[in-house]
Amino acid sequence: MTPEILLALLAATVQAGTPILYATLGEILTEKGGILNLGVEGMMLVGALIGFLTALHTGSPVLAFLAGGAAGACMAAVHGIVCIGFLGNQVVSGLALTIFGTGLAGFFGTPYIGRTAPGFDKFSLPGLGDVPILGTIFFQQDALVYLSYLLPPLLWAFFRYSRWGLAIRAAGESPAATRAAGLNVLAYRWAALLAGGMLVGFGGSYLSLAYTHLWTNGLTSGRGWIAVALVIFAFWRPSRAMVGAYLFGGVMAFQLRLQAMGTALPSSILLMLPYILTIAALALASWRGDRTEAPAALGINMEPSE
Amino acid sequence: MLHLSAVRRQEPLGWGSCLVFFAALALAFSVSGLLLAMQDKPALDALWLLVHSAFGSGYALEDCLIKAIPIFLCSLGVGLTFRLQIWNIGAEGQFALGAVGATWAALTFPTWPWYALLPTMLLCASLTGSLWGVIPALLRLKLRANEIIVTLMLNYVGILILEYLVYGIWKDPGSFGFPMTSEFVPAAVVARIAGTRLNWGLVICLVIGVLMTVFLRSTRLGYELRACGENVRAARYARMPYAKLVVLVMAVSGALAGWAGFLEASATLGRLQPSIMSGYGYTAIVVAWLANLNPLIIAVASFLLAGLRVGMETLQLDLQIPAAFGAIMEGLILLSVLAGGFFSRYRLHLRRAA
Amino acid sequence: MRKCLPLFLLTFLALGSTCFAEDMKVGFVYVSPVGDAGYSYAHDQGRLAVEAMDGVTTSFVESVAEGQDSERVIMNMARKGYDAIFATSYGYMDPMLKVAKDFPKVKFLHCSGYKNAENMANYFGRIYQARYLTGMTAGAMTKSNVLGYVAAFPIPEVIRGINAFTLGAQAVNPDVQVRVVWTKTWYDPATEKEAAKSLLDVGCDVIAQHQDSPGPQEAAQERGAYSVGYNTDMAAFAPKSHLTSAIWNWGPFYTEMVQQIKDGTWKSDFYWYGLDKGIVDISPFGEMVPADVQKTVTDKKAEIASGAYQVFTGPIKDQAGVEKVAAGAVMPDADLLGFNWFVQGVVGTLE
Repeated sequence: MTPEILLALLAATVQAGTPILYATLGEILTEKGGILNLGVEGMMLVGALIGFLTALHTGSPVLAFLAGGAAGACMAAVHGIVCIGFLGNQVVSGLALTIFGTGLAGFFGTPYIGRTAPGFDKFSLPGLGDVPILGTIFFQQDALVYLSYLLPPLLWAFFRYSRWGLAIRAAGESPAATRAAGLNVLAYRWAALLAGGMLVGFGGSYLSLAYTHLWTNGLTSGRGWIAVALVIFAFWRPSRAMVGAYLFGGVMAFQLRLQAMGTALPSSILLMLPYILTIAALALASWRGDRTEAPAALGINMEPSE
Repeated sequence: MLHLSAVRRQEPLGWGSCLVFFAALALAFSVSGLLLAMQDKPALDALWLLVHSAFGSGYALEDCLIKAIPIFLCSLGVGLTFRLQIWNIGAEGQFALGAVGATWAALTFPTWPWYALLPTMLLCASLTGSLWGVIPALLRLKLRANEIIVTLMLNYVGILILEYLVYGIWKDPGSFGFPMTSEFVPAAVVARIAGTRLNWGLVICLVIGVLMTVFLRSTRLGYELRACGENVRAARYARMPYAKLVVLVMAVSGALAGWAGFLEASATLGRLQPSIMSGYGYTAIVVAWLANLNPLIIAVASFLLAGLRVGMETLQLDLQIPAAFGAIMEGLILLSVLAGGFFSRYRLHLRRAA
Repeated sequence: MRKCLPLFLLTFLALGSTCFAEDMKVGFVYVSPVGDAGYSYAHDQGRLAVEAMDGVTTSFVESVAEGQDSERVIMNMARKGYDAIFATSYGYMDPMLKVAKDFPKVKFLHCSGYKNAENMANYFGRIYQARYLTGMTAGAMTKSNVLGYVAAFPIPEVIRGINAFTLGAQAVNPDVQVRVVWTKTWYDPATEKEAAKSLLDVGCDVIAQHQDSPGPQEAAQERGAYSVGYNTDMAAFAPKSHLTSAIWNWGPFYTEMVQQIKDGTWKSDFYWYGLDKGIVDISPFGEMVPADVQKTVTDKKAEIASGAYQVFTGPIKDQAGVEKVAAGAVMPDADLLGFNWFVQGVVGTLE
């Protein structure tokens, strides 16, 4: 592998990891509030479709990106109604949301397969893009990738220093105590759920607006599930989420480049790599990590009080 | 000021639960109809056609039964694990591995008579299927790895293993390079019940269904599993150590999904090819939950959801409705039933606040 | 008058029954969504040609999974009185054969397979001829002499296409190399685009594909490389990079089959038409292709169409350098249908 190919691989890694990063950060936000939302795969697909349709009809990629986020939030709202409103089982509701979202995207999106829409293209950041090595990898990407660089530090600061962030964390750790302290736990959970859903929607629309300018029924190919796994791998920390997302983007990009360079390994085996790696990373993180990393009340519905 | 509050019911709702369930179904159907109308499809006609074409003729009922077989087996297994709050999303991969195991037996012992070969295939399917269930169980027990993710990832890996074998060493030399194994010898094919298009797998389902019901109702272990319900800690007071319980249910669940794979490969396709995967593993989750994990109701729900799939094809053919609509209905039904469960567990009070 | 009335009625009825004779019903089964601008789309364009025929109505079911589901769909169509059914993916072969046995009056046509019966025929198109021509174009336009091929699954038709493409490129440029990346999917724009990018990273400057999405075309255009499309004219997706596409033109074949069935002259056979009947073709060249290259390729197209030149004429060596087809010999159709080795110059695995 020559240095050029390596650099190209790393740049591709960043791009491939970006949709996963958005989705992982969104799910971290939701789970910090105590809600387990397994519907990420379905939400990403709906976000991708709505983003694509908006770009097609309005011609504005920015509007499309925002629309994708809004769609993700709407899907999250469905989960919220079923779980926060009607106290449904969060695991099953999330799975149902995935099935529903996948169907919804396919149903409305089938006529749009084969169309192309305006989207985001790569451009080099002035100055930064010319920096050797790092510039090629990080600063010759599209606008949404640059945006995604800002999110982990923002989220970190949000959870650490802002009132809302602390309240959301409290809602996820010990909802009873939070309620006793006079805070509206449900409101904060809803906020975390919707905002997280919006980020997941962003991840989905990245796929149809920047990664490609196309739409298809199976566009996400399991990235949503990898995002859910990465939340655990990242110990619910935004900074580690970045590492995880790029790691997985890298594996996906790597196995294709390995083929292009010429390898004797059968492609079926290579295709297994991202999934096996996910299991390995998860196992490692779960084993080494403290159980106290997870929000204590994750997945448990709050009983309605009198 | 009026104040709405919810109180947990002391006793279960009983027949009212049925009402809630049907109300939820009605809601799901209505929303589905609305979505159809948004795409300029005749909603009422479509929904009627869906039901009518799935259950309205002998042929269709046969189709539903045939399709219900793998769904039932997968759901039974998944339902078992859900009782322990072990979220086995891996029925799809376990199905694939079961098919692989059965195919190995069929290809390795083509000269054996059917009464030796078929049970061997069943055994192999059980072994490979339960292996794919035990791996996540062990990872959960030893490393506290979340089984939702592990089983899901193993789905993808399982399908890739199937593809690898079918594109590689098991490829039929006579198939002009297409990825499929040779056709199974007649001794390896589960036969059709005379006069119908159903296969003897149906009998396997009946037997297993009865066995499972008896097991859950009449044996101590079964009672403990039923009592676990929502309370995982109760498992710790069961006779069997929790760890063994986890491995057991995941192994059984994997084996059942493996049997579904064996039947699909043997009775339906007569060979192994990648298109054996039809998403039964995911439908199984919907079925198990809708049926409240009860084996008898799982049988009914499997039939109904098989009917949904069968009806969808007619909707595609006659009304050009995209295949994805079936997934919409499955998802909506599950979501509304989940929401409806609220009314079974809680009673609403309307009262004045001071 | 009274006596004439029954005669009148009879005549009227007889005439009426021919006037209002039921339209012939033709059904199509697709493996992927119709709008994918690719494989199924091309078949559906053919269906539209049949729909335009007098006295024929058509319908289709898309995204039908191979195996049990397809058997039911085909059986449904047969039971509903369809007169002819076209199934467009190789995985439909066994299910269609099963149904064909139960419905002897219905005519079944299966694409890309090999099992047939008295009322079931096979058909395919010699797209490899078009591939050869696109290979010539790519070989003439490349500067790095490395061509990239984003391929779906290692099945004979894909391998055949890659080989034809390579032979065509080598005919105008003996030093070219073709690198293959398997995506293991027919339609996944994200993976296909990433695969194309990985080929571009290792030095390919023309990207060809056996995929149904325009993802690889996008990747090529973004890098300023050239691209060759498949199934339909993909120029709209990458106007700056698209050289030409190997395309299907099923309309003439489908209308011919349906007309024969209508007239009662249809026979089961293995239909494998090519450039000669216009079933396959190459799309118009992009502006960047020089006139002399266009002429060379167009001349060759005429040669193949007339039968004067056969694409797989020896000497052809495999990847290891072993001669598989002797000089001057033409590979028989049976070998082409079961193609499971790469020609020399292809860099890639077969699984």
